[in-house]
Amino acid sequence: MMIRSILTIALGLVITSSALAEWGSLKGRLVFDGDAGSPKELNVNKDTEYCSQHKPVDESLTVGDGGGLANAFVYLYVKRGKSVEVHPDMEKVGDEPVVLDNKGCRFEPHAVLLRTGQTLEVSNSDEIAHNTNTGALIANAGFNETIPKNAPLVKSFESRESFPSEVVCNIHPWMKAYLLIRDNPYMAVTDKDGNFEIKNLPAGKHEFVFWHGPNGVIKSLKVGKTKTSRKGRAKLEIESGETLDLGEVKVTGKQLGM
Amino acid sequence: MNNSFGRIPWLGVLAVVTMLPGCDSVDPPAFRMNMVEAVSYETAPEYQQEIADVLAALFGTPDEPFALPATGLDQVMLNRSAGPAWSDEAGYNYGLYRKHCVHCHGITGDGRGPTAMFLNPYPRDYRPGVYKFKSTYNPAKPTDDDLHRVLINGVPGTAMPSFSLLPGSEVESLVEYVKYLSYRGEMETKLIQYVFDELGVMEKLDDEGNEIIDANGDPVMERIPFDPTNDPDQREAVMDLLAEVVDAWDGANEMIIAPTEDSIPAEKRSPEELLASIEKGRSLFFDKDKGNCYSCHGPTGLGDGQQDDYNNWQKAHKKFLDETAKLAEKDELDDLEASLLDDREEVAESLYPLRNAIPRNLRQGVYRGGRRKLDIFRRIYAGIAGTPMPGGGPSAPGAKAGALTEEEMWNIVDYVYSLPYEPASQPQVVTPKYTQSITN
Repeated sequence: MMIRSILTIALGLVITSSALAEWGSLKGRLVFDGDAGSPKELNVNKDTEYCSQHKPVDESLTVGDGGGLANAFVYLYVKRGKSVEVHPDMEKVGDEPVVLDNKGCRFEPHAVLLRTGQTLEVSNSDEIAHNTNTGALIANAGFNETIPKNAPLVKSFESRESFPSEVVCNIHPWMKAYLLIRDNPYMAVTDKDGNFEIKNLPAGKHEFVFWHGPNGVIKSLKVGKTKTSRKGRAKLEIESGETLDLGEVKVTGKQLGM
Repeated sequence: MNNSFGRIPWLGVLAVVTMLPGCDSVDPPAFRMNMVEAVSYETAPEYQQEIADVLAALFGTPDEPFALPATGLDQVMLNRSAGPAWSDEAGYNYGLYRKHCVHCHGITGDGRGPTAMFLNPYPRDYRPGVYKFKSTYNPAKPTDDDLHRVLINGVPGTAMPSFSLLPGSEVESLVEYVKYLSYRGEMETKLIQYVFDELGVMEKLDDEGNEIIDANGDPVMERIPFDPTNDPDQREAVMDLLAEVVDAWDGANEMIIAPTEDSIPAEKRSPEELLASIEKGRSLFFDKDKGNCYSCHGPTGLGDGQQDDYNNWQKAHKKFLDETAKLAEKDELDDLEASLLDDREEVAESLYPLRNAIPRNLRQGVYRGGRRKLDIFRRIYAGIAGTPMPGGGPSAPGAKAGALTEEEMWNIVDYVYSLPYEPASQPQVVTPKYTQSITN
């Protein structure tokens, strides 16, 4: 028993050191397959006078001019109890806070990436009061605070979450954002054109989660030569020194639960 | 008919409930699985059974509860609260939960006892481990004293009565049992998520961790059972998850909100001082960047502002119902989706009608979380966990100031206390500065 555990530790060390030097990247572009139409206008029935001038729209589906799907999450799946080798440049959690702003009666940005221990700064750039409620977090305890002007709320979280969770403002019920908290830097959100890139991944076979709110994991999504499972995960091989480019990944409304 | 997302354990429990008592072969009461979570995570029937088995190993049954030493729960108190209600010759009572609580809160503590559907508000579902009326910061658990206070005072304005006539030891045993049901409920959800995240049908691996390929060149797939007894990694994960639950509860005493002595209003204030404080409170109540209370509690304090939101318990059900409705609207369903829809619709039918979170009418002078000034102060400071009500104070011990200073919160307490004494025919005079902003 003893010998076996020593062996395991020794083996672990060997694997660790050999993996150190080999890194690769993953990129791609999510494209909405279908007619997204123009974003739906919202029923702005709270603080109407102030909020309606900012014309907030339904952001549950944001498709760019070229058909790119924005605000989708792509991130590395890591089994519980296993840790992933992190590139030396990315090991340290940045000192700069990640800002989630209440602006124009919407959250900016709509999709937020945060590492455990990193500072989340919730601010309010509006002339009216907002509250920010993260009661939907699962591994971390949520909070629900009034966010005054000029006094941002500063928070950090200890536990990684398996999925992004909804952040809401109860005063303005149309306001929604998604927050993903991971204990490694390997996560991305698609930009307005649907592009995403995760850099400096350890080379090897990994599973990646594809997620879009509010519906959740994107099932049966064709990525490269494979497809995401019922759990929204696809196994992809990252080669050392290479960037795996998935090219255009087509997402249907059905896959987004529409 | 594909029965891949079974309702076997669930139906089993239903059968027990509907069976007539007095029959010799009656099964003992069983904990009911959280089907909203299980179906949301597409937990296969084999996994549902395994999760139920693991929960039984960790927590026992309603007749024979069990608490691992790691939980710190008191086994003697749990024994006293659990099981059928009876008294020994010395008049010592057992089965306290079933005597006093089960009718509303249900055997599982899911807030689904036989009377639950007819009550407004619905009885608390203990399983998420979230409690509204407590002395701690918003994200924190309640302390034992907080739960004790709720049992002694009841929850005014609801069906929850006071149990102040019970001997102290009985109340303490019930507090322990309520915590036990929360620990169990939180663990259940964590295990359902663990199984989704970590287990399932996967490529079979050989001893070296390589995929085994069959004759057709496809990887051989196998279902990884959830069996912590025989899998040390799973066992470690389960104990880690349990520690997460227990740590949060154990930390509650360090999360108590204690007002700064200097900010507490003097006991004897002159009428002028009190009026000045009420006036400040009124102004903060309507101040968009400070209290902003009126946007939910209404310009008159009648609770008639924002009324179309939900609390977190109802929100979870709403999400489940919305997703089910969306799935039902789809034109073509594959076999898996059709079976999933069946399961979803069955669970959806079992849910009580959705209710909005209605902000408190502050003119009634009925305060659910207690009527001490300190209680109202803490409601304003931390908000009310699980509800739309946000906190105005610092968000955690040592965090920087929130929207309101402590002095301002005490001003609002004074204003809230003054509201019931003004006749509704004399509505609050809105400070002219804010008249503009309450048009909606």
